[in-house]
Amino acid sequence: MNELALVIFAPLIAGALAWIIDVKGIREILGVLGAGVSLGYTALLYQKTGEGLSFVLNLGVFKLTFALNTLNWFFLGIGALVGFSAILALVSTGRDSYEWLFALMSLSGVLGVFLANDLMTFFIFWEIMTFASFMMVLHYNRAASLKYFLLSVFGAYAMLIALGMIYAKLGTFDFAQIQQAMYKEAYAAAFGADTVFSKGESALIYLLFLIAFGVKAGMFPLHVWAPDAYSETNQSYTAMFSGVLSKAGVYGLVMLYILMGTRLAIEIGGFRSTTKFGYIIAFLGGLTIIVGGLLAALQEDIRKLFAYSSISQIGYILVGIGVGTALSMQAALFHALSHALFKGLFFLIVATIVYRTGKTTFADMGGLAEKMPFTFAMAFVAILSLAGIPPLVGFASKWVLFEAVISQNLPILGGMVFFGSAIGFVYLIRFTYAVWFGQRPTDLDDTKDAPLPMAIAMAILALFNVVLGIAPGLVARELNKIFGKEVIGGNLFILDLGFGRYNALAILIYLIVGIIIAGIIYFLGAKVRKVPVTDTYQSANPVTMEYNLTIRRNFFLPLKEALAFWLRISFDKLYRDIGAWVEDLAEVLRNFIYNGNTQSYAWYLAIVLLILALWGV
Amino acid sequence: MIETALKALLILIYATFVGFMFMGIIRIVTARIHRRVGPPIYQPILDTIKLLSKKSNITHGLIYDFGVIYALGATILALMFIPLGSIGILRAYGDLILITFLLEIPMLGIMFAAMSSGNPYAGIGAQRALLTLLAIQVPLGFAIVALAEFYGTFSTYEIVMAQQTMGWSIIHLPLLLAAIAYDIVLQAMFGKEPFDIMIAPGEISLGPMVEFGGKHMGILQIQHAIALFAETLFFANIFLGGAVVTAFSSPILNTIASLAILLVKQIAVLLVATFMGAIFPRFTIDQAAKFYWKWPTIIAALGAILASL
Repeated sequence: MNELALVIFAPLIAGALAWIIDVKGIREILGVLGAGVSLGYTALLYQKTGEGLSFVLNLGVFKLTFALNTLNWFFLGIGALVGFSAILALVSTGRDSYEWLFALMSLSGVLGVFLANDLMTFFIFWEIMTFASFMMVLHYNRAASLKYFLLSVFGAYAMLIALGMIYAKLGTFDFAQIQQAMYKEAYAAAFGADTVFSKGESALIYLLFLIAFGVKAGMFPLHVWAPDAYSETNQSYTAMFSGVLSKAGVYGLVMLYILMGTRLAIEIGGFRSTTKFGYIIAFLGGLTIIVGGLLAALQEDIRKLFAYSSISQIGYILVGIGVGTALSMQAALFHALSHALFKGLFFLIVATIVYRTGKTTFADMGGLAEKMPFTFAMAFVAILSLAGIPPLVGFASKWVLFEAVISQNLPILGGMVFFGSAIGFVYLIRFTYAVWFGQRPTDLDDTKDAPLPMAIAMAILALFNVVLGIAPGLVARELNKIFGKEVIGGNLFILDLGFGRYNALAILIYLIVGIIIAGIIYFLGAKVRKVPVTDTYQSANPVTMEYNLTIRRNFFLPLKEALAFWLRISFDKLYRDIGAWVEDLAEVLRNFIYNGNTQSYAWYLAIVLLILALWGV
Repeated sequence: MIETALKALLILIYATFVGFMFMGIIRIVTARIHRRVGPPIYQPILDTIKLLSKKSNITHGLIYDFGVIYALGATILALMFIPLGSIGILRAYGDLILITFLLEIPMLGIMFAAMSSGNPYAGIGAQRALLTLLAIQVPLGFAIVALAEFYGTFSTYEIVMAQQTMGWSIIHLPLLLAAIAYDIVLQAMFGKEPFDIMIAPGEISLGPMVEFGGKHMGILQIQHAIALFAETLFFANIFLGGAVVTAFSSPILNTIASLAILLVKQIAVLLVATFMGAIFPRFTIDQAAKFYWKWPTIIAALGAILASL
């Protein structure tokens, strides 16, 4: 049996077995084993990325073809690693075998999407992934799952129409053949010869794919499903949901570039130093950063905050893909990796907090750092990584992205990504303050630290955050391999773009030196005395634990007031209104057409006959 | 190796000393504007020594101590990446975006320490600090974009070298606009009125700083001194031409001359901020956000667009 098949189907088989056997203990072992096999074989396959590897599954009607190359190994690695960590954490938080089945099924789905070598396989696994994640959300919240399902179906069928258009004209689903045909088309269009697709058709295919992948990635204004779906499900699973499943959308957009990038660039034309169609993606990405970030800052629920934060970070990847140079593509892929690493870690932390305290809103939490020191240490790494503090991986990828965007003379996009980095800082400190610091509500006094499986899962991701941050050259080398040339130069610790350089090791060394100097000054001073949280300055008044000293509600009220005008514009509300309007229309049609009057049915018959008569039948 | 370490130490000592002098200058100039005599110029040093030698210190836990140490450590880190005349240690890696980020991360340490105290004033101060950070990021971002697009490089040292031949950045219109926006942003970075909203003495009892005393406060004073030095130095480097003197044959004289030129430029930046700070009353936080998102953003965005043409 081929290794590719093992990578893709091991989680699915393990999930099915876990579901059938359904004995607590065994199903956990089976599930972790399934994800582990995927991870292990993904690591082994690294050797074979150069020569390539393919696998065909003949289903009679059509063939499912899979192939391995350097690009999809990169995504496969992200998926297998974060997926494994999430499954490991599921050992603690998984409630029943239902969750094991669908969590593992969605892992299979997304790995299949990454490895697919033709559009039909891509679509089938895309649907498996969507269905399984929908079932995970449905288990917790019906309304949230239906919203997710509706938008996903909308996206999936947009993709299906595009698929149909391509197949009708080219007669193939194979990536390589489509790519070749599109190249030929691009040349034909450039020299004014006849093309198979008209200009309008190729623009339509682009639009349909953009909707399909935009929904999955959470692109503004198609992001509305994400805050509900990410929060209303098992939080361990969300680590994979946000970390890996959203990357399917990103991968789709990269595939769009590979399949028909040249064609679209020539057909639709350029904008400044990039292409028009790319600039649309990038601009929507920039809006995604801002909208997601601002809304994240205003959330009162820990899960919602990270859901919006996830949307915001995806915006960076979209900007990178949209700008479309080799460097910005690499930056986008790099950020896709670091987003998966730190966002996976974040959702595992949220899962731990929810698992241990049973609470989800900021108003109920506080002072947990003393009770959960290990989880706090992991959160510290994740915070530094997401906020873009060197020398963690979040900074390295963001830095490459910033330089890639700004060096292309795109000032507005540059301003947008800058704003995104500040807003990331802002909502993370709000999370830190309300959850970890300050006064602890008395009902959290016997909270324990993370259970072992979750602790291991968090430690794995935190380790990658730190190691790849200090040695970003490891990632840069893989990315260069994908592009077949040295786009990001430098060595293990240094990234060299030509017009800018980043030395992670120097930052680490000087940060440590700085902290040592500061530490010496600190320890030369007199000893410190520990005081309780109530021994504090409250305008020189005595305080007791009955007072609430920590601001837990509406932390960013001034921001809310400053943005009052913009916050009234809600796409969520727009979609709801459209939904309500469609329901009303259905009701009206039902009442008027199926009105129960036999004579009107007779009239319908008469009208149809009249039409046929006029037609000349 | 030892030479680098020695150089780094010298830069650090010089920056700390000059930073304290800057704090003294701010106090004297403000006093003279108010027709007072004011303290001697070395007063901040005396204050810091007093704070560091307090017999009794309190702590609210590990993060409370670590946050303060991290803030100073990160400030030292930022300092090392900014070219100081011809003697920057890591000036080859002194990337514009990196330095902009590095100048912000000490705030993270202060926030962490302040919040872990659990004081409500610290909480409200942190909220205001974060919103100020969010507000200034838009014009700041556009100013940096304008610089990078104008010079086509992200290296601060290369920008300084380019200004040696092309003239100071502020004589080019796009960069003049960026410099104006950046100077308004500096007011908030220094924590001077009208944007000293995060500290807001008299309004919220020093905000994040409310619980610090003794050696914690002393370390933060040192941090403030170095940050003041680093921020003015960065501005002088990117907009006022920095200084690389090669007129003398002796390298030591060259270094001293460039340090002196830089010092004059830094003090000029500082004085503008002090004058503005002395005559404007404080904004509220929502006014500050709306202000920064309006005029400085428009000016800087215009600069960035002009620079990219």
